[in-house]
Amino acid sequence: MAAHLPIGKSTAAAAGILLLLPLGLHDPFLLDVLTTGFLLAAFAGSWDIVGGVAGQVSLCHALFFGIASYACAAMTTLLEWPAFLAAPAAVLLAGLGGFGVGALAAPLRGPFVAVLTLAIGEAAHELVLGNVFLAGAGGYAWGGEGGIPVRLPWWAESPRAAYYAALVFLAAATAVLLLVRRSRQGLVLRAVAGSEMTARASGIDVAKHKRRAFGIAALLAGTAGAAYAFHVGRATAADFSLELSFQAATFAAVGGRGTVVGPVAAAFCFHVLFQGLDVPPGTRILFYALALMLILRFFPGGVAGELLRLRERREAGR
Amino acid sequence: MTSPAFLLTVDGIAKSFERAPVLAEVSFHVLPGEAVGLCGDNGSGKTTLVNILSGLIAPDAGSVRFDGLDVTRLPMDARYRAGIARTFQIPRPYPALTVAEAVRVALPASAGGGEIDALLSRVGLLGQRDLPCGRLSQGCLRRLEFARALACRPRLMILDEVFSALSTTDEEELVALLRAVNREDGAAFLLVSHNPQLLDSLCGRVLHLAGGRIAREGKA
Repeated sequence: MAAHLPIGKSTAAAAGILLLLPLGLHDPFLLDVLTTGFLLAAFAGSWDIVGGVAGQVSLCHALFFGIASYACAAMTTLLEWPAFLAAPAAVLLAGLGGFGVGALAAPLRGPFVAVLTLAIGEAAHELVLGNVFLAGAGGYAWGGEGGIPVRLPWWAESPRAAYYAALVFLAAATAVLLLVRRSRQGLVLRAVAGSEMTARASGIDVAKHKRRAFGIAALLAGTAGAAYAFHVGRATAADFSLELSFQAATFAAVGGRGTVVGPVAAAFCFHVLFQGLDVPPGTRILFYALALMLILRFFPGGVAGELLRLRERREAGR
Repeated sequence: MTSPAFLLTVDGIAKSFERAPVLAEVSFHVLPGEAVGLCGDNGSGKTTLVNILSGLIAPDAGSVRFDGLDVTRLPMDARYRAGIARTFQIPRPYPALTVAEAVRVALPASAGGGEIDALLSRVGLLGQRDLPCGRLSQGCLRRLEFARALACRPRLMILDEVFSALSTTDEEELVALLRAVNREDGAAFLLVSHNPQLLDSLCGRVLHLAGGRIAREGKA
């Protein structure tokens, strides 16, 4: 589906704008909003592998983001590992978490996957929120709502350098996600999403491929989580929040589930909009719920699906 | 009863749902390349038997041997890879995949585009290769079911009401295709149908299922 999206020219135009934007933008807050937007867009894209391409509606995707960010924080600050070792180790841990959740979710279908993952995600969130991992005599406390600081490998991060690093990260992550989607593995996941029964009758070990979908998505979510932790300099309980998982699912539905590019673009645009306008969390959650209801009712294919439909209609009219 | 000469040996299969027996002591065999029919009234246990033979559900008792190997507990995907292909009474297509993609899923990863086109050409779907499966007519969906079944180079095809709700042209073409697969590829088949003429014309013998048992064997 995404392979035929009319995104060539618009992608080039968007890339040009994003490359030139920091040259005329000097407000560090806005640069930071865009930088975190790139990282969260990569996270939303990773959800699309399991939730869109493979059709397994996961509501604990923030778990993998959080595992990686907390692992980065713990390894750099508590174990004093260098960032180049901590980051890949954290991503691997997130991937393992993904395979674990995938193993539990593999025998289930549809709403049962959503309910199971919701429970796992909330349990993990409560666990990190309610526990102080380390409390010292000096009055400091690591864990709980404030989380754990990340020992950064640089003294002062340049907002512009961070912006470009995050942009390159998003481009690379999107390319990997599209490669996965267009690979044989991606085709099998799309088949599983379409009809598990027919996939099984075609020789596909559905449970194995569901585990893989969770694992691949978790590895990529973990990569975004590690990058985010190094950008903000702290892992907090919000990294595990249901809101983060819900965001990814909503942005994918709005952008077009299973297309990768649609969820990535929608996540970036909405993050920038909400953060730029300082929309409070309660209003954001209300928006997610309303957007999900309206999109699923009137535009089940999301923006990408509508674009495809319009293009097909135009071609049919020629 | 088990013999290496038999392709499929079904021995003493029993299955109950919520204590209501559906199949009891079902035993029969299929020879390599043999065409066997299966008929019976609604509720006689045909679909349950097909589901057990294809690995979709496990029997409560009895065994299924394929080519001398016990496959009773083997899941459907593993049985497909071993050479037992089945079609569904109601096809369940992948709505967003194209016809070519749906066939590619069933083929080994090493298969190329030529192999997909050859299969689609054989079932008469080459012209629809780039159409989403969700837009296919009933006749085309049945052809796609055949293509999917043929993709594993089956030695046994279990065909559940594969000719129902088809136009005369579609039925004639698919019957010809089934004869060709049986004759040229040497694939055996177990055809489930309510149509006695069709069963008699295609199958050497027909098993009559009644009350969850093989009541008799012969012509439909």
